[in-house]
Parts: sequence; C-alpha cells; structure tokens
Amino acid sequence: MPGIDECLLAAMVVPGALGASLVDWTSGLALGTVGDSPNGDHEATAAETAELARMAAEQRAFSPNGLPVEDVIITTPSGYHLLRFVETAFDSSVFLHLWLDREEGNLALARIRLSSLAEQLVLA
Amino acid sequence: MSTTVSPMLVRLAAERATGALLRDHGTLYLVDGQVVHAESPASPGIDVLLTSAGRLPAEDWQEAVDRAGTRGRVGRFLVDSGRLADGELELCHLSALFDAAFFALAPGSGPTRFRYGAAHWLGRIRPVSAAVVERESQRRRRLLDELWPYPDTDTAPVVRRTTPSGQPVTPRQRAVLDLADGERTPGDIARALGRPAFHTLIDVRRLAAAGTVATPRVAPTAPSPVPAWVAQVADDPDTALLRRLRDALEASL
Repeated sequence: MPGIDECLLAAMVVPGALGASLVDWTSGLALGTVGDSPNGDHEATAAETAELARMAAEQRAFSPNGLPVEDVIITTPSGYHLLRFVETAFDSSVFLHLWLDREEGNLALARIRLSSLAEQLVLA
Repeated sequence: MSTTVSPMLVRLAAERATGALLRDHGTLYLVDGQVVHAESPASPGIDVLLTSAGRLPAEDWQEAVDRAGTRGRVGRFLVDSGRLADGELELCHLSALFDAAFFALAPGSGPTRFRYGAAHWLGRIRPVSAAVVERESQRRRRLLDELWPYPDTDTAPVVRRTTPSGQPVTPRQRAVLDLADGERTPGDIARALGRPAFHTLIDVRRLAAAGTVATPRVAPTAPSPVPAWVAQVADDPDTALLRRLRDALEASL
C-alpha cells in the first residue's frame, strides 16, 4: 500500500526514467513529483500534460463504448512520455506521468510497470 | 508577479507557526509553517469526497472520527484499519486541501486571525508548503477567468439553456448538467457528486462559455460597504468564525 511518494520513487526505478509526477487533469495540479522535469518546472509541466490528458480522457473518439482511456504515449527524438490514468473508487481525475530517456527507456516495459503502479496506489 | 493574498500566511510560514488561520471563507491548518489541512463551507470536505461516491460507508467514516478524532489521527486510523490505501487517503486529502484553500484564500475576504496551537482532527497526512498552496490558489483563479471571465457563474444556480448549443458535452460535464435544476449552485452540485467544488466551477464555466448553461445576467447586489464602527467591531476575534458558521448554516438550510 504505497503512498504517492513511494509510488513515484518506484516509477523512477523503471529503466530510463528521468522524472515522474502524479497530476490532477481537471485542475492541472501536480500532487507529487520526483526527478527532473522536461522544462525544468514540474508545476508548468503538470499544467501542460493535464491539458493533453483531459483531451484524451474526454473526447468520445477515444472511448466510443464509454470505456476509460488507459494510457497516452508521446514520443520525441530524445524521449518518451507515458501518461497512465489512475482509476479510483471515488470521484477523481488523476494520472501518472513518466518521462523516459529515449536511448535507455523501453516503452513496453515502462507501460506495464506504470499500469501496475497506478493500481497499487489505490489498492487497500 | 502577483502579490500575496494573505501576508499573514507568509509570515506564519516564515516563523514555522502551528495553528489555524481563520479567514472569511475558510480555514487553513498549519504545522511548523506547512499547510496540513484546509476547510471551507464552499467546498465538500474529505468525508464527502470519500463517502458520496460510495468509496467509504458513512458509518466507517463516523467510526474513524469517534475512535481517532480526539487523538487527531482519523486519517491514519482509516489506513491502519485497512479501510483505505495510503494513496487513496493522500489523493482525497490533497484534493480537499487545495479545494478548500482556493476559497479560503479568496482575495479580500475579510478579517484574518490565527489561533496558535489549534490542530485538525484529521491529523498530519501530507503537508504542503504555504507558498505552493498560495501559488496554486492564484493559478486556479487565473484558470477560471481564462475559461470564461464571469465569476458570478461560480455562485449562481446553474441554469441550462433551453436552446441546444450543439456543443459536445463530456461525460463529467453530463453529470453536472443532470443535476442542474435551476436551483442548485455549482457548490451544491459538487457536494452531490462528491467532487471538489473547484472542479465543478471549471465544468460550469466551460459549459457557460459553450452556451450550454446560462451566464447569470445581473450580478448579485454587492453588500454595501460597512460603516467604520462596524468595521472596527470586526476586530472581535471571533467574527470570521461566526461568519463562516453563518454561511455554513445558510448553506444547509
């Protein structure tokens, strides 16, 4: 039963991890952060990624049957960004954001690890 | 560079104070200058967030308050007794804290006072620096105004427009709209959904910008400025507390 910090520290153990955060996509608030941030400012990054997460979570194109969106993946020449939505039994709108180095990171592995961390975070 | 909303909060944080900062629209609880909790009559408490959507039976919450409230360890009790995961408690706690702080730190909200030593029964869960809380409250205020610059939308009853706007409505907005009966305010809807009040303000401002809900036409008449002798009476230490009590009572009527 890890708390937010333990969860983010565990995400940083994923090969190639540069930074991780837990963000609320309605408000754009960073609830927790560890490591580096792509633009050197975790709060600004949270507000920007929240906007992306919101679009993915709310557009009908991505959940035609009402099923929730699981991940958002962004690739760049130097890195990967993996956003994993956290499903909770109360009303919330949060996701984990893991930033990975392109050379060191393995997207498939990171996706599996982040999905399991998102479950453990709210597992009583 | 925005100016600080509460100079007293800055000073209390610097002196690492412990106690309760009472403002007109809410209270911030500090331990060693860090914000450990916040409450406001305008926002649903952590109890509402946890029980409304059915995550926690109301009796479990009550039991935790009864058994650990006087020791100021209600949060800890919920986790130690296996009712909540650490992550769940922290998520709901931070959600409620920043939500209440947004209202408590509303600009120009009357007298401010500090009760040294006062502690909250929820207990210490995940303290946040006062600077972060204040910065986030100001960012939230800007965010609302960028979406739709009509603050009256936040406090007026939510009224659906009769002519369809044709704009798509998201599932979370749909939940808000379903409760818009022309009487409930965004705060009432947030409470009914077990959702932070600020999140509902965001949805209502977006819906108003899209023309799906009406924007209040006439600003509610602002209270007339109080005469000087009344303002001086407001130095009475418990005025802020009494006003919040009155607001809470009125809200529950």
